Amino acid sequence: MSVFRRILQTSIFRLSLVYAVLFSLIAAAALLSVYKVAENQIKDQIDTRLTLETNLLLENYKKRAVKGLLEDINIYNKKEGRPFYIYALIHQSKLDLSRFIPTDKNTITRKNKTFASIPLGNIVEYVPDRDANEMVRMMLTKLPRGYQLLVGAELKEMQSLLNQLFKATLIAISVIFALSTLIGSFMAYKMLNRINNVTQTADNIIEGDLSHRIPVVSDRNNEFDRLGRSLNRMLGRNEELMDSMREVTNNLAHDLRNPLNRIRHRIESAKLEEVTELGFEQFSDDTIHDIDGVIATFNALLSIAQIESGEPRKDWVGFELNTLLDDLAETYEAVAEEKKLIWEYQVTDRLLMSGNQHLIAQLFTNLLDNAFKYSTQGGKIIVKAMKINDSNHSPQIAVTISDNGPGIPLEEHEKVFKRFHRLDSARSTEGNGLGLSLVKAVANLHQAKIHFSDNQPGLCVEVRFSKQKA
Amino acid sequence: MQILIIEDDIQTAQFIQKGLQESGFVADHVADGELGLQQAISNQYDALVIDRMLPKLDGLSIIEQLRGQGFNVPILILSALGDVDQRVAGLKAGGDDYLVKPYAFSELLARLQALLRRNQPNQEVNHLQVGDLKMDLLKRQVTRANINIDLQPKEFILLETLMRNVGEVITRTMLLEKVWDYNFDPQTNVIDVHISRIRGKIDKDFDVPLLKTVRGSGYILNNPSHSTSSEG
Repeated sequence: MSVFRRILQTSIFRLSLVYAVLFSLIAAAALLSVYKVAENQIKDQIDTRLTLETNLLLENYKKRAVKGLLEDINIYNKKEGRPFYIYALIHQSKLDLSRFIPTDKNTITRKNKTFASIPLGNIVEYVPDRDANEMVRMMLTKLPRGYQLLVGAELKEMQSLLNQLFKATLIAISVIFALSTLIGSFMAYKMLNRINNVTQTADNIIEGDLSHRIPVVSDRNNEFDRLGRSLNRMLGRNEELMDSMREVTNNLAHDLRNPLNRIRHRIESAKLEEVTELGFEQFSDDTIHDIDGVIATFNALLSIAQIESGEPRKDWVGFELNTLLDDLAETYEAVAEEKKLIWEYQVTDRLLMSGNQHLIAQLFTNLLDNAFKYSTQGGKIIVKAMKINDSNHSPQIAVTISDNGPGIPLEEHEKVFKRFHRLDSARSTEGNGLGLSLVKAVANLHQAKIHFSDNQPGLCVEVRFSKQKA
Repeated sequence: MQILIIEDDIQTAQFIQKGLQESGFVADHVADGELGLQQAISNQYDALVIDRMLPKLDGLSIIEQLRGQGFNVPILILSALGDVDQRVAGLKAGGDDYLVKPYAFSELLARLQALLRRNQPNQEVNHLQVGDLKMDLLKRQVTRANINIDLQPKEFILLETLMRNVGEVITRTMLLEKVWDYNFDPQTNVIDVHISRIRGKIDKDFDVPLLKTVRGSGYILNNPSHSTSSEG
């Protein structure tokens, strides 16, 4: 019952009801005019026929007077089957037929001929085998010496035809009204249902279950499905963000707890022990190191948040990526030499791009830092950059950095971008698990794609910028 | 050398004051912006250390007013706001350097000293000399005891920075900013590597080492004869 009431309240139902009423009225007017036209048409036809029949009889009357006329009438009335027409010659002294003629018709009577529809009961005694209840359409012709010639036609069939037409019209109008109301309700119900789904999903989410989604039919593409899909994408993104926020908070708490705990323990034991000058030096160095680690974590988090806010777009410039990479290469080649790694640098093209230079430098620094961190003596680090065309023939810049370190397992390829995600689950190696998150944030800001592949052994990272006009 | 510290956090201010005094400076402290501005105008300070967020009058307004009145005293801004944007805003307002909290005191000291030196009348030089280490900035040549030393471009800028600041500690962060133009700290020890390469080139084959590491803060290039460091 409440569903019914809700349907009644929907604007779509009200609108469709208005349409139903309007449409029914128009249809009724149309059908009624059709009915009227049909009625007149039938009447005209009958009247024409009556005139014809009358003229035929009058032809004979002219030749053979009343006697001939009566003969004809008798023959006509006795025709096989049940004749449609009625013929009679009645003297005015027996029955004055003109009193059946409506007074207004009297005035327009021409040539002594008048049409009228009369009940047969009045004249049934002059025509054989007729039902007194029948209505006839008659044509009355006044003849000399008080004779009246009556040619009539049964109206029963016409009446029933018109009755049927009228009924059909009524039925059609009711059906149109009922159908349009029904369709309106159905549409309102469907729409209400879909909107209810959205409301229900929203309510569930408000209550805290973020995993709820608006039901959509996958292979359909109406506006509700599109709206639903858009909203679902938004909800998905929100849930992802909420999840990552939660994860970040948890991880941050965990990652801070360790150095803070170490600092606390160190201070506690320093309070208990007699501290030598050398011991104090160690104590303060360790403590500063731990605190610097905490600060670095916060700074990295803030940087990522700032990059994700899109704010660094203000410092967009056109620049030569190859020059930036040359600079990095000079810096890191020295490190490679020190760590006894093989360094290969293959950047020859002039690579124009636009972006935030500082962030791009940081992106490649982080990737190089990782390559160096995981490379062992004798490993090979290769940096390449070139212009390429993708499948759509749009120019792009691809920078790859490959190493012979342990690599990243396939199932971790997406996860490593999460804040605080560490391949080393014991979190015992140096690092805060934010380096690749920052790389990803910078890449997203520049609409660049990052792709990991197996360098057999090792990792190959490709950063691909769709080349913009500098 | 007289320094004014405008900082509303008393503990921080006392810490800086004590550190500066130990390093041979005279350091005054005020805790709000209005007083700070008055003090800076009425006394001849050699440098100002100003916190960005202050009661009554914020740090950037103090700097703008001072610069507006024609004071060109070196100013070091301290701030908890560390984005590149904030930094740019600070320098635009007229600050000479920007240090983000939390910072190491050695960092503050090194930057302050660099600012004080920068403020001294500074003629254009095309030669730098520290002991028998000579740098020709035009020909981009470096020699020590007349022996030619081959340096990579980054190594050259690095050595130039150290030579221009002879006898003063240059922190790792300062080197990253000046030599690499980075406002972030790479995880890889790129600075150590480059310093050790420079050391290998300028010190290894000579009796007196010039380049020293200052533990926990940075690097210093010392003049063995303690004479003037740069010549025109």
